[in-house]
Amino acid sequence: MTSRFGKAMLLAAVLAILLFLLAPILVLILSAFDSGNVFRFPPKGLSLRWFETAFNHAEYRSSLWISTVLGLLSTAIAVGLASLAAFGLVRGKPSYRLAMEVLLLAPLTLPLVVWAIALLSIYAQLGINGTLLGLILAHVTITMPFAARIMIATFDEIDPNLEAAAKSLGASPWQVVRRITLPLALPGLLSSTAIAFLVSFNDVVVTTLIAGAGWITFPVRTFSRLRTEGIDPTTIAIGAMIVAFTILVIVLGQRLFQLSRRL
Amino acid sequence: MKQTPDIKPIATALLVAPAAILMFGVFILPFLFLVVLSFWSQAPGSVGMTPSFTLANYARIIGDSYYLGGLWTTLWLSGLVTLLCLVLALPLARWIVLHAKRSKGLLIGLCILPLVCGALLPTLGLVNLLSPLGFINGALKSMGLIKTSLPLLGNIAGVSIGLVQAFLPLMILPLISTIERIPHDYEKAAMSLGATRLVVWRRVLLPLMLPGIVAGSLLVFCASLTAFVTPQILGQGKVVTFASLAYQQAAMVLDWPFASALGMVMLLFLALAGLVGALVSRGLGRRT
Repeated sequence: MTSRFGKAMLLAAVLAILLFLLAPILVLILSAFDSGNVFRFPPKGLSLRWFETAFNHAEYRSSLWISTVLGLLSTAIAVGLASLAAFGLVRGKPSYRLAMEVLLLAPLTLPLVVWAIALLSIYAQLGINGTLLGLILAHVTITMPFAARIMIATFDEIDPNLEAAAKSLGASPWQVVRRITLPLALPGLLSSTAIAFLVSFNDVVVTTLIAGAGWITFPVRTFSRLRTEGIDPTTIAIGAMIVAFTILVIVLGQRLFQLSRRL
Repeated sequence: MKQTPDIKPIATALLVAPAAILMFGVFILPFLFLVVLSFWSQAPGSVGMTPSFTLANYARIIGDSYYLGGLWTTLWLSGLVTLLCLVLALPLARWIVLHAKRSKGLLIGLCILPLVCGALLPTLGLVNLLSPLGFINGALKSMGLIKTSLPLLGNIAGVSIGLVQAFLPLMILPLISTIERIPHDYEKAAMSLGATRLVVWRRVLLPLMLPGIVAGSLLVFCASLTAFVTPQILGQGKVVTFASLAYQQAAMVLDWPFASALGMVMLLFLALAGLVGALVSRGLGRRT
């Protein structure tokens, strides 16, 4: 009896904690449909007008475009480099594997804001402050640990005997990679691409310091608006769409290739 | 048993080199430059930096109660956030490992959501959740529980809620991976030998979970110590944290040597936190 009561209490506590964790995201989506200029609860009415403004807003459209291009380019480079390195570390088993893993995962443990301050002054010395090159280098760096972690776990799980068997049956190295390694690594590749893109697309900490005036991403624009003018309901609507997209990627990723297994 | 490599050492080096060179050049070198930069100086009102060796930046931090106050607030706030994250993450992580069967992967996916949404979007939702007209105050008022709005924005309460929400995943993930490694029998064995629930937790479960607790606490503490987006928005300029001071110096005042010195102070406290974590883990390793 007490045990059943205890279990129910535990379940209630767990649900409350989950709700707390997800509440801001849920409220963000809910408030995007509020018709007023300032969100108030309970809402006065529901409308889609902020979505409409969002789609007609040239400034936001261009910054969303910049975020997307930057995210795609950085993700492609980070996942590519991370996959090569992870394959080398797992299959080559070098003595420096642990040191390299620490190096590739370093941005997860060292403070990015401190790094961005230093990067800003280095970029200024090199004259690449506020350029696309500078932004891509920074975004590849912050997405690398996520891609590397997932790819190392992915290659660790692939049995090297499968590659050896294909080779002994006369497959060329390129055929082994294309027909054996790549198909087996595909779930990991898709997982790291999804996570790296989301991290790059949503980053504000590093980008707000090094973005300059030419390449203002959506999070950076929103952050600077927020500090000077407060919340703009248009931002809420775009934010809600980004969050919905993020949830979709995570849920689909989980369903199709067990995204969370290699995190 | 020494494992034999499947590819040649030279091929391994060539595969690893591009990522390693990039990470060393773009990530590690700036930290080394930061050390140097923190001793440089910059004339007031100019953006040109003078290579020199001066302790003036550090003297300015130590001598000014504004910066010391910000540091103190940030330190105890980070401690509080770490503790709250631990209290919330422990039952959730344990429940996910023990009871969530088929939904486990999806739950972990939901738990990392605040992490991949970045610092900004959840904070936008939090503003609408906590504001005087927002979700919580509106709901409490319509239930007749309060008459005037509770102040949840522009103070420590709001900033703590925001930081706990943002960094809870950093505590949940390491806890899940340690709890997964604890055999279920241990708890049953201790109970069958007559241990009470409290004793099982104190003598069996918590010690076994300690590596995860230390790792998660370090991650949350470090993230809180260096957070500036959430404190700036939810604190509405009234809660001064150390990282937001550094951000202001770097992005608005453009005094990079001074911002670097502020960054160095943060690194110092992160190193201290890491040292404490290592000592706790080692002390425990010796006892068991």
